[in-house]
Amino acid sequence: MSAAPPGESANRLRGDLMAYASLSLISIFCAIPFFWLLVGSLDGNAQLFLRWPETWTFANYLRVFAKEDGAKWLFNSLFVVGSATFLVMVLSGLGGYALSRTRAWWKLPFLYAILLIRVLPSTALIVPLYKFLLTLNNAEGALLRPIFGSTTRDIMRWTGFIDGYLGLILVLATMQLPLSLWIMKTFFDGLPRDYEEAALMDGATMLQRIRRVLIPLALPGLAASGLFAFMAAWGDFLLPLILLSSPELQTLPIGLFRAFLRINEIDYGLLTALAFIYLVPAVVAFGFARRFLVQTFSGGVKG
Amino acid sequence: MIHLNNVRKFYGALEVIKGIDVTVEDGEFAVFVGPSGCGKSTLLRMIAGLEGIDGGDLVLNGTRINDVPPDKRGISMVFQSYALYPHMTVAENIGFSLSLKKVAPAEIRRQVGEVADILQLGELLDRRPGALSGGQRQRVAIGRAIIKKPSLILFDEPLSNLDSALRVQMRAELQRLHRELSATVVYVTHDQVEAMTMADKIVVLNQGTVAQVGPPMELYHRPDNEFVATFIGSPKMNILPVAMTRDGADSIRLAGPLGMTFALADASLPEGAARMGVRPEHFKVVAADAAHFVAEVAIVERLGVETYLTVGSIEQPIVVRVEGDVTFRPGDRVPFAADTAACHIFSTDGRILRSANVA
Ligand SMILES: Nc1ncnc2c1ncn2[C@@H]1O[C@H](COP(=O)(O)OP(=O)(O)OP(=O)(O)O)[C@@H](O)[C@H]1O
Ligand SMILES: [Mg+2]
Repeated sequence: MSAAPPGESANRLRGDLMAYASLSLISIFCAIPFFWLLVGSLDGNAQLFLRWPETWTFANYLRVFAKEDGAKWLFNSLFVVGSATFLVMVLSGLGGYALSRTRAWWKLPFLYAILLIRVLPSTALIVPLYKFLLTLNNAEGALLRPIFGSTTRDIMRWTGFIDGYLGLILVLATMQLPLSLWIMKTFFDGLPRDYEEAALMDGATMLQRIRRVLIPLALPGLAASGLFAFMAAWGDFLLPLILLSSPELQTLPIGLFRAFLRINEIDYGLLTALAFIYLVPAVVAFGFARRFLVQTFSGGVKG
Repeated sequence: MIHLNNVRKFYGALEVIKGIDVTVEDGEFAVFVGPSGCGKSTLLRMIAGLEGIDGGDLVLNGTRINDVPPDKRGISMVFQSYALYPHMTVAENIGFSLSLKKVAPAEIRRQVGEVADILQLGELLDRRPGALSGGQRQRVAIGRAIIKKPSLILFDEPLSNLDSALRVQMRAELQRLHRELSATVVYVTHDQVEAMTMADKIVVLNQGTVAQVGPPMELYHRPDNEFVATFIGSPKMNILPVAMTRDGADSIRLAGPLGMTFALADASLPEGAARMGVRPEHFKVVAADAAHFVAEVAIVERLGVETYLTVGSIEQPIVVRVEGDVTFRPGDRVPFAADTAACHIFSTDGRILRSANVA
């Protein structure tokens, strides 16, 4: 190819400059809220509007953990969302594998049906869902109370369907499972059966095939499905708001919300610190999964 | 020794393997060859134990193994995709079957080392398959198969992912390996060149049945039917419709396309329509007065050591092989003669009526 005429290369340069300028603007626009949070959370006297702090301090963060129940909220969020994510990864791994390999006639109808769960807004289902969980919860309570007496409430905090970890974990996982199942099914579709058959011929038992061949091969897919489940569940606000009432079960977004609602005065320092803490796990999860995501969405395993 | 006795396979109501009888002797390199979809892979997977057998017996070294699980058959398989585990190193891939059997790590290392020596993989043992070339992956896949010291190694189109130069090299390598290990091999391919160059015994499959079994040259010179005749050999054998009329008790006259006509010394061929098979090398360019027919040259393909002429009409092209180079150009009319001794005569339904008389 011959060199571009001078006019054209000047044009190209101008085009590049425009592109970079607009991209920079967009990224600044996107980054400002995060920057705002970080600066606000380190400001000794944070205000509604962004300003350069007069005094830099970690007092806001200290307050989150010392004066408020920040540690408990963080634990609750991590525990509930982490368990839901783990559940989703296990179920979508097994289910996605089965859905990919089966030749059953109901495969496609089933896959579309579960996607419907994902498409329906959970807000619309909240009343029947609550009713359903409440019935389960009451049944569980009726079953446990004669056996455990006064410690029942402590047990139900973990295993209850309403105002207990288990209910929230199950509901969060259910909401995320369809998409994850699709991701894993598609992932396994792209994974040749030869891998398993080679392992079979080498004498691997079912468990060895899963543990030493399928799980390592499926890691990229699992990371993707786990990340999506984690991000969606981590950001969910409505379900913990409805399903949890005890203060000791509150999750981070609920804590943040309640702190914002306090009547006397809005503590922007505390809010921004909380919000920043709320952001960190999502970013960390993304960082972990990023490496695998590229593989999953750019065409399966290279062997 | 592996023996297939009337082996059958159904997919639903569809019979894809229709009663196959084949025996592969110890140390033999047997190639199953056939066009795409004829059931080669299915048959191989049935031998491996990855597909069930719906009828007949599969006998390995005297034991019926129809219902023996794949890993207990003492059979290894090299997959077309190689199926190397991307998360394991070359050494771990090769030693995988041993590590499943809980063999001591030192012993695994020793055996992997041995296999790596045979396959010249020594320097690659710590790499991941992703960082290997196609030929190297191929060798790792073979290493994974031979470390089990199997009594039978199966290959499913192992060279189809390689480029043509590497394919030639790997063909030689596989033959060397076969000699060194004196292994029994069943090798599946749709490429008759691979079959011809490597096999001790070729099994030609056609739509789930055996078309013919035999050593390469036997199949080349004495095909049992038109299918084998046209499948083995490249370029393909020319098949021409002919009309046969008795000349005398010992002679029959053939009339083919392009005014082609000549007599064959034969007492047994029936009169009527038939199909004549002549390989490209059994046509010659001759002087005009010795010609069986004269045809117009349509295509000239020069390969240096030989030249292929496509002559005659588009509906009934005839390929002729000529030694060295020629001066013909498309459009020239050239006199040809067939080597009558080398003609095969098939019935109109493709059965052999008369084989060629060549060694
Ligand atoms: N799971 C299956 N269900 C139904 N039919 C099948 C199945 N697997 C294979 N077949 C059919 O069986 C026949 C033989 O298939 P097979 O894979 O053995 O062919 P092949 O000779 O190996 O072909 P190729 O050279 O393309 O690999 C084909 O017609 C194929 O469509
Ligand atoms: Mg095949």
